[in-house]
Amino acid sequence: MEAVTQQIPLEHFLVLSALLFSIGVYGVLTRRNAVLILMSVELMLNAASINMVAFAAYTAPQAFTGIIFAVFIITVAAAEVGLALAIILRIFRNRGTANVDEVDELKW
Amino acid sequence: MGMTDAWVIPLLPAAAFVVLLLFGPYLPRRGDWLAIIAIAAAFVLVFPVIADFTDALAEHGAEFAGASNSVEWMTVPDNLELRLGVHVDAITIVMLVVVTFVSLMVQVYSLGYMRGDARYGWFYAVLSLFAASMLALVLADNFLLLYFTWELVGLCSYLLIGHYSHLRSAAEAAKKAFITTRLGDVGLLIGIILLWNDTGTFNIQEVIAAAEAGAVRTEVLTASVVLIFLGAMGKSAQFPFHVWLPDAMEGPTPVSALIHAATMVVAGVYLVARTLPLFELVAGGPELVLAIGLFTTFLSATMGLVMTDIKRVIAYSTINSLGLMFVALGIGAPAAAMLYLFTHAFFKAMLFLCAGSVIHATERQDVSQLGGLWSKMPVTGATFAIGALSMAGLPFLAGFFAKDEILAALTQNRAVFALTLLTLPLTAMYIVRVFILTFLGEPKDAEAHAHAHESPPSMTVPLVLLGVLTLVSGFVVFDQVGRALGFPGGIGEVIFLHEPEVLDFDVWVALGSSLLVALGIAGAWYAWLVRKEIPVIAAHVLRPAHNLLVNKYYLDDFYQAIIDGVVLRTAGILAWFDRSVVNDTGVNGPAETAGLMAYLLKFQQTGKLPNYALAIVVGVVALALVAFSIKA
Repeated sequence: MEAVTQQIPLEHFLVLSALLFSIGVYGVLTRRNAVLILMSVELMLNAASINMVAFAAYTAPQAFTGIIFAVFIITVAAAEVGLALAIILRIFRNRGTANVDEVDELKW
Repeated sequence: MGMTDAWVIPLLPAAAFVVLLLFGPYLPRRGDWLAIIAIAAAFVLVFPVIADFTDALAEHGAEFAGASNSVEWMTVPDNLELRLGVHVDAITIVMLVVVTFVSLMVQVYSLGYMRGDARYGWFYAVLSLFAASMLALVLADNFLLLYFTWELVGLCSYLLIGHYSHLRSAAEAAKKAFITTRLGDVGLLIGIILLWNDTGTFNIQEVIAAAEAGAVRTEVLTASVVLIFLGAMGKSAQFPFHVWLPDAMEGPTPVSALIHAATMVVAGVYLVARTLPLFELVAGGPELVLAIGLFTTFLSATMGLVMTDIKRVIAYSTINSLGLMFVALGIGAPAAAMLYLFTHAFFKAMLFLCAGSVIHATERQDVSQLGGLWSKMPVTGATFAIGALSMAGLPFLAGFFAKDEILAALTQNRAVFALTLLTLPLTAMYIVRVFILTFLGEPKDAEAHAHAHESPPSMTVPLVLLGVLTLVSGFVVFDQVGRALGFPGGIGEVIFLHEPEVLDFDVWVALGSSLLVALGIAGAWYAWLVRKEIPVIAAHVLRPAHNLLVNKYYLDDFYQAIIDGVVLRTAGILAWFDRSVVNDTGVNGPAETAGLMAYLLKFQQTGKLPNYALAIVVGVVALALVAFSIKA
C-alpha cells in the first residue's frame, strides 16, 4: 500500500473513477434493455467504491471508514442486483420484453 | 335569606328552564307545574329580601345605598378582573316584585290560554328562561352580566313573539323585534366597553363613582351615555325604535302582557334609572332622555287613537307609558318613574290579559268585529275597565298616583308640563275607546258574540288579582302606607339616587290633570257610544291626518324603504363581492390554480425510465454546478 500511494498520485484514481462513473451514466441513459441498465448502475456503484477506497488510502490510511463504506456498497449492490433482477424477470415474464421504453404505464 | 343571597331568586326559574328543556316532554302536563312552582318560590323569596332591605334601611337610614355580593368569574392578571354578582337596592326591590309577581300571574293565566298549544312545554320553558334572565338583569351589579341578560331577554322575546312560527307574520315580527332592538344593543355594548376602558371596571356602582370623581374623559362619558341610552331606547321601544313593539303583538297574549308590557320593555327605563347619575354628569343627557320620552309619548298617543287591533292599541299605550317614564327620568325624578313602572306593570299586564281573554273567547282581535261583550264576560270587562281607567289616569286608581307624581315633578319645566298635559286626554280617549268598542255597544259580529263566554278560572283569577293591585298599588305613595310596608318615610324616601326625593301630592296638578282625563273619557264616550258618526266624519274631514295615523306616520314604510333601497342594496353588493371576489377569487382561486398547474405538470410524468434517469442526471449536474459556483 505504501508503495502504491507513493508511486501513483491520487488524481489517477479519481480520474479512473470519474471515467467509470461517466460510462455508467452513459449506459443508463442510452441503453433500453433493463439488464444493461442494471449493469451500468453497477459500474457507477463500483466507481463510487473506487473513490471511497482511494480517498481512504490517501487521506486517512489509519482509519477504516472509507474501506468499510466500500464493503457496504458491495453488500448493498449485491442485494440490489438480486432484487432488480427479480423485478426484471417478472416484467419479462408478464410482457415478453425487458425494454424499458415499453414499460411506461406508471404515470398519470 | 338576606339581600346578599338574592342570587338564588333567578336560579329557581333557570333550573326550571333546564329541567323543562331536557325532560319537559316526559313530565306530566309537560312540566307547566314545575315552571309555576319555580316562579312562585322566587316570588315568595323576594319577601325575605325586602324584609332584610327594610331592616338595613331602618338601621342605616337614607344613606343606605344597597347591598352587593359578588364572586370572581375570571381574571386576566394585571389586566382584567371579571366578577359576577348581585346588587340589591330600592330600584331592584321594585323590579323584583314586579317581575316575579307578573311572571307568576302570566304563567297561571297561560294554563288556560295556552292549553292545547302544540308547543305548550316549550312555551313554559321559555317563560322560565325569561323570568330567570329578567331577574338576573335587575339584580346584576355589573354591566357585563346586565348585558348578557339583556340579550337573553331579547332572545326570549324573539322566541315568544315567533311562538306561532307557522304564521309568516309572527316570524316577521319576531325578526323585526330582534333586529330593531339589536340596533340599540350594539350601542349599549360599545357604551359599556367605553366606560370600562376609562374606569377599568364593569361594576355599575364603581363606574358611577369613578365618573363622578372625574375619572372618565368628558367626550367618552358623553358618547357612552348616548350609546347606553340607545340600548334603552331599543329595548323600551322609544322613537325611532318603537316600531317593533306593535308588531310584537303577533306573539301569544300572555307574552305581550309579561314581556311587552310589564317587564322586558321597562328594562330600558330600569337601565336609565340605574345609570341616571351618569346621565346627569353629561350636559344635555337628561334633556335627551326627556325629549325622546316626550316625543314618543305624543307619537304613540296619536297612533293609538286610530288602531283597530285591540292588542295593538294596548301596545301603543305601553309605548306611551314608557315615554312618560323617560320623561320622569329626564326631569330627574327616578322615584316617580319607578312608581309609574311599578303600577304600570300591574294594570298594563292586566289589560293585555283581558285582551287575551277576549281573543280566547271570540277568536277575534279587531275591535270592528267585537262589541257588546260586557254581559257575556263580566269579569274580563270589569277588570279591563279598571285597567283602562287606570291607564287614563282616573283619580285614585294606580295610574293616577303614578302619573300625578310625574306631573308634580314636571311643574318646574312649564313647556314640558304643558306638552305632557296635552297627551293626557289623548291617552284617556284611545284607551277608553278600545274598551267601548270591545265591551259596549252592539255586537258587530253576531257569531263571535254568540260563542263568547267568560274564560276559565285559571285566567280570571290572575285578572282579578291584578285588578285588586291596580286598585290599591297607587296608595303606596302615601307616607303612611309606605311606613306600614316598612319603608320609613314613605316610598319616596327609599327610591332615590342622589337625595331623597319627596313624592308630593299637588292638589291643583291632580285636579287639573283629572279634569283633562275626564274630558278625554267623556269625549271617547260621546264619540264612540253616543254619536257614533263623529269618528267617521272626523276621519273623513281630517283625511290626511287620519291617513297619517293609520299608516303609523309612514315610519314603517320609511324604514322598509331604507331597508329595501339602502340596506338590501348594499347587502347585495357586499354579497356579490363576497361571492365573486372573496369566494371565487380568494378561496377558490388558489385551489383552482393549483389544480391547473397539477394538470399541466402531470404530463411530465411519462412513465418512461430513461426520462427519469436523464432528469436525475441533469439535476445532479445542475446542483453540482450551483455548488461549485457558490464555493468559487
